[in-house]
Amino acid sequence: MTLRKLREAWDHFFFTPQSPVPISLFRIFWGICVSAKILLLHSDWLNWYGVHGWVTLQTMQVVEPGIRLNLFTVMPQDDRWIAAFFWVFLGCALLLTVGLWTRVMSVAVFLCLTSIDQRNLLMLHGGDTFLRCAGFFLMFAPAGAAFSLDRVIAIRRGKQGAQIKPRAPWAQRIIQIELALLYLTSFFWKLKGHTWLNGTALYYVMHLHSIARFPLPHWIQSTAMLRAGSWFTLALEFSLGTLIWSRRFRYPLLLVGLLFHLSIEYSFNLPLFEFDVLTAYILFVDPVDLEKWWSALRQHLGRRAVPLLS
Amino acid sequence: MSSAGKASGRKKRISGQAKGRKPLPPSKSEAENRESVRRAAINVFILFHLVAIICVALPWNLPITSSVKELVRPYMRWTGLYQTWDMFGPDPEMVNSYVKSVIITQDRHVQVWSFPRMEELGFGERYEKERYRKFLEVLPQTQYAPLWPDVARHLARSLNNQADPPDKVMLIQFQSEIHPGVDDSHEPTPRPNVFYDDYLQPGDLK
Repeated sequence: MTLRKLREAWDHFFFTPQSPVPISLFRIFWGICVSAKILLLHSDWLNWYGVHGWVTLQTMQVVEPGIRLNLFTVMPQDDRWIAAFFWVFLGCALLLTVGLWTRVMSVAVFLCLTSIDQRNLLMLHGGDTFLRCAGFFLMFAPAGAAFSLDRVIAIRRGKQGAQIKPRAPWAQRIIQIELALLYLTSFFWKLKGHTWLNGTALYYVMHLHSIARFPLPHWIQSTAMLRAGSWFTLALEFSLGTLIWSRRFRYPLLLVGLLFHLSIEYSFNLPLFEFDVLTAYILFVDPVDLEKWWSALRQHLGRRAVPLLS
Repeated sequence: MSSAGKASGRKKRISGQAKGRKPLPPSKSEAENRESVRRAAINVFILFHLVAIICVALPWNLPITSSVKELVRPYMRWTGLYQTWDMFGPDPEMVNSYVKSVIITQDRHVQVWSFPRMEELGFGERYEKERYRKFLEVLPQTQYAPLWPDVARHLARSLNNQADPPDKVMLIQFQSEIHPGVDDSHEPTPRPNVFYDDYLQPGDLK
């Protein structure tokens, strides 16, 4: 591939205008996940982030030194301020979800989100990391261009028409790359050990009491099934990191990935991780297909709604 | 005319000029220039972040990725873009563990407090308290020893009884190994490991 062709491919991938519907839907799902994270932490806000929490701000700075974007370092060290911070954070996350002052809210939510993660780095899981990284790039995306109060207001004021203007999807593309990288590097990490390759990894995972959720049928826990499951996980993570870029494999992979995450959600207690990751699946759906499905759904609902209304 | 009057006259004239003539739109080449500068800036932004993210996330320390990692570490740490996707990797945990604390009061009463154990919680509570599982995975590690006095103080404050305040806190991790093929009913008895044991200092309960 010549340099020129590479440049054209780069421009096409990052800058060819496309419908902002997927990124707007992602904004909604992402906002819901962030709000859920805040609410699930509610009973422990001060235990984790308070002045006299499990780990103080000063100790965290000793254990994980370095300059960090962390509003807790500039906030008065008072539990009332910290509680107020969380209510403001929740308010901003909800406003972002409904798409009011979207750009400003995306910046505010990212600042708050990265602050709580930086304030206590030792209780985070992969879902938190994904939310934070995706949130950084969401700030640069036209996330309020569809399904938002911003758009409703703009239409009422005559600043926008009925058609949603296509935009350069470069920020969306980076979030997509983040998701693919999550799967691919997770696959690489597993190759560094021996249990995933010899097929015993899932046995250990299934016998960790702290993450067990609902009971599984006995046949699933047979040695052969667990071995197959370990290898299937490797194959799926590799595919979701690479083949997802191929239009031919994309939808089947997204479907298998969705079922994979939902089955993990059923079996293991890894709160929100699955949903945090699944939010970005919408970014891989072609806006044209989204529109087709939406029209079909409306038509279907319309047909059913008529007898109800008449 | 006073100076204030002169100033207001000038102001009126200027605003009148602004009303009369619309500012000219930027010429085509000027707009193109602006757009190409903008596009170049976005390209640099994308390229920098892609290289940084990929080098930080890859699990190998190749000479090239290590140099890039070192270079971008302050920025990645500052923004919160640092990332490691090692879920259940390289190998999953091969031990079941939980942490308990023992608090000895000044009157030599002993109180045992268990950190939330997911397997003992209800469905909804597990969603809320899952952070404890992550936290307790790392807490007993010696690299996090600076955290232990904080945890002990937080516990002592939470369980403080003015009539008989806490005097000493012990943090104990219980671990049992998972052996493939062994029936769950024959799981070994968890072994305790006291990883923190110290007296509280005056002022710790304030």
